[in-house]
Amino acid sequence: MTGGVQLLAVGAATPSWRLPATEVGAAWGRAGGRGQAAVCAPDEDTLTLAAEAAGRALAASGLQTDIVDGLWWGTTRPPFAEGPSHAVLARAVGLSHRSGGALASGSPHAGVEALLAAADAVGAGTAQVALVVVSDAIVPGLGTPFEARAGAGAAALVLVSHGGGASLGPRVTRTHPYLDRYRGDGEAVTRDLYDGRLFREEVFLPTMRELGEQLGALDVDRWSLPDPDGRLGATLARQLGAGTPASAAVYETVGDTGAAAALLGALGALDAAGTIGLVGWGGGRATGITITAREPVRGAVLVADAIGGGRTVTYAEALRARGQLVSSGETVPMGVPPQSAQFVRGADEMLGLLGARCVDCGTINTPPSIHPHCISCGSAKFVLEPLARHGRVHTFVVNETMPAPFVAPLPLAVIDLDDGARVMLQVTESAAALELGGEVELVMRRYAHERGVPVYGYKARTVGTEAR
Amino acid sequence: MSWNRVAVVGAGLIKFGELFDQSYEQMAAGAFAAAVESVDHGFDPEQVEAAFVATQRGTLWGQEGIGGNTVPSAIGLAGIPCTRIENACPSGSDAFRVGAMAVASGVHDVVLVIGVEKMRDKSAEEGLLARAAAGHPIFTRGETAPVLFAPFATRHMHEFGTTPEMLASVAVKNHYNGARDPYAHFQNEITVEDVLASPAVCRPLHLLDCCPQTDGAAATLLVRADLADRFTDRPVYVAGFGVATDHPYLHEKSSFVGLKATQLAAERAYAMAGLSPADIDCAEVHDCFTITEILDIEDLGFVDKGKGGVASLSGETALTGRIPVNTSGGLLAKGHPIGATGVAQLTECWWQLRGDAGDRQVDMRHGNALQHNVGGRGSGVSVINILTTNQP
Repeated sequence: MTGGVQLLAVGAATPSWRLPATEVGAAWGRAGGRGQAAVCAPDEDTLTLAAEAAGRALAASGLQTDIVDGLWWGTTRPPFAEGPSHAVLARAVGLSHRSGGALASGSPHAGVEALLAAADAVGAGTAQVALVVVSDAIVPGLGTPFEARAGAGAAALVLVSHGGGASLGPRVTRTHPYLDRYRGDGEAVTRDLYDGRLFREEVFLPTMRELGEQLGALDVDRWSLPDPDGRLGATLARQLGAGTPASAAVYETVGDTGAAAALLGALGALDAAGTIGLVGWGGGRATGITITAREPVRGAVLVADAIGGGRTVTYAEALRARGQLVSSGETVPMGVPPQSAQFVRGADEMLGLLGARCVDCGTINTPPSIHPHCISCGSAKFVLEPLARHGRVHTFVVNETMPAPFVAPLPLAVIDLDDGARVMLQVTESAAALELGGEVELVMRRYAHERGVPVYGYKARTVGTEAR
Repeated sequence: MSWNRVAVVGAGLIKFGELFDQSYEQMAAGAFAAAVESVDHGFDPEQVEAAFVATQRGTLWGQEGIGGNTVPSAIGLAGIPCTRIENACPSGSDAFRVGAMAVASGVHDVVLVIGVEKMRDKSAEEGLLARAAAGHPIFTRGETAPVLFAPFATRHMHEFGTTPEMLASVAVKNHYNGARDPYAHFQNEITVEDVLASPAVCRPLHLLDCCPQTDGAAATLLVRADLADRFTDRPVYVAGFGVATDHPYLHEKSSFVGLKATQLAAERAYAMAGLSPADIDCAEVHDCFTITEILDIEDLGFVDKGKGGVASLSGETALTGRIPVNTSGGLLAKGHPIGATGVAQLTECWWQLRGDAGDRQVDMRHGNALQHNVGGRGSGVSVINILTTNQP
């Protein structure tokens, strides 16, 4: 059914914080708690994770981003409930204005939906190169049993019609109109299951067994299986005779990453030849598919690095970053409303991080829209080009005095990029390692959430530090 | 250069501070009265032909649409021509320059230049700090005022070995001077240890490396030089001025160890006055942060590039030093009510030139004093005025 759909490259990303389950348990007077979950810093969300994973997959593919025919993005909860989520991500990863694709959302099953839709487009020949991104940063209900396991992360795949090192195999899918985890209309947080035993005995295990047995007939070597509560994954693996699933270690490190979980749990295993079976579930649906690698898939060797690391944070820090712990009083509004003309004029240059290279003297002026004339020679002849995403710190400060919604300390650095452009940007949490001449890379981050609109742009992240 | 010379025959200010009990209008009236009072042979306010008002931000006290009409009414001169000048931190010094040009042009014989600024009617969060969210949504986000100068401190330390103690010595000196200025916001002396132990505001700058938020007003009276003897036997003249701009965003700076706007404005002001840095007896310079004064004294040519920190620590800029700087206490101790700042600096220069600076009086060997501001986004605008007691 998927015809000759090939997997060319993969990438993964997780947020920079880790929240130990014991932190959450202690807050609610519950003993114990196992493992940890990856949680977003204040400037990270499902889109920034998606952009980072996509960037890594595209880099591993060796392809130019402008030949990608479409973006298929699966996330339970897109950053704009209604709005340009897909368009913003497409621009942030450098896809052309002609690219297509689709956004799947509404449940964690959105991840496999995006994968299958992209595969179908490549199989049907309507796309030669498809970018699949699955990501989530679930905001769990406070005090729910699954809160400590609610993680965040992203995986990305580049699918091609020919020439990849792995192929997509058959798929199996089931649909039943049951309620699992859900978020009601207008609600801010995701509710837990109504009845854990009902879900386990009547919904999850029967459905998954049925799916798994069918997939298991296909000589699956490794598995990526859902684990909604920290126990069901192991139970399911036992019932399927699957050994320890490849996904177990991922769940242990970053928690349940929702729409990203099935692929994130599988990508690391693509570092070697073999067949992996992965299962995504949610919203009354479950879908399994196999991927057979004939050789190590490009980018797979880097997946473990993307999942590891992270700074351990307190429950209070995580709550504040998720917007669940909010200070009283007014916050300072953004001078430029996020719906206004400057964002329309500046969308490409902000999300695509463009510079204007002077044809006469070579100086790169940033951003182009405020530079009708070159700052070095006054010329008005420019060529637009994406800025280098790597450079060195020329000078920096750490702002310790900030009004809400800013959170101090806020480092800002003047950076000399590898292409000669000079920019000033905020620096991510990696700032402890900031030093003059130090290496930085530019990463997509959420600068603000203003009047209901997330505002994205690039920040600098120090290279070679543990915090990512 | 052929231009009608201009004399400063009166200058004055109100005590700077957190003036919660005074309105903008009351501050303006106080400064105007002080300037009128200072004129040796007396001054009838009705002689003012035009006023130039410096107020940088009406937004800081809730009158967003302030034009030139507020001050004439407040000082009892409703109906006179009045223009409001806003040019970032140099608003006051630029209003003075424009006022001087109005006289030099021959259009007016007597003008008032007055700076008035309410910095504390709004909270810090809604006032100066709100700048963090102003400007470009990405490229200036988080850029509060210290961010405009702290990157220069980081780089100056790196390139020239400037130390936190050298930065602190600027604040120590200016508080010492401020303690001798009855108009200063802060009138207490501090130590290097106090500065280094004060909280970090924007690393590497500490709280006492930063000027306070201060309300204030100051005024000067300018007349045609050939009419000066009607008002005083001790006139002070405008020797020259210079203005320059630089790119407005920090990332457009080619250097983080000097301010190009100051360097260009200085060249122009010295050329117009026919003077060199060695001819200046004392200077009021823009010390919104300690690093700024170090950059200033280098960019104005008082010390070599890179030597500003050492010069400050070794006392070269103290009251008794080779080139006394910020004898009034500067922005750091006297305060920085933005529109009033430049006019108040000129008032200090006027006092020093006339020998009226009391405990702060320095030796005016050459009879020349320099006043300087720099500011705006990316410190992209600088204005310098040079006053002299030497006959044109």
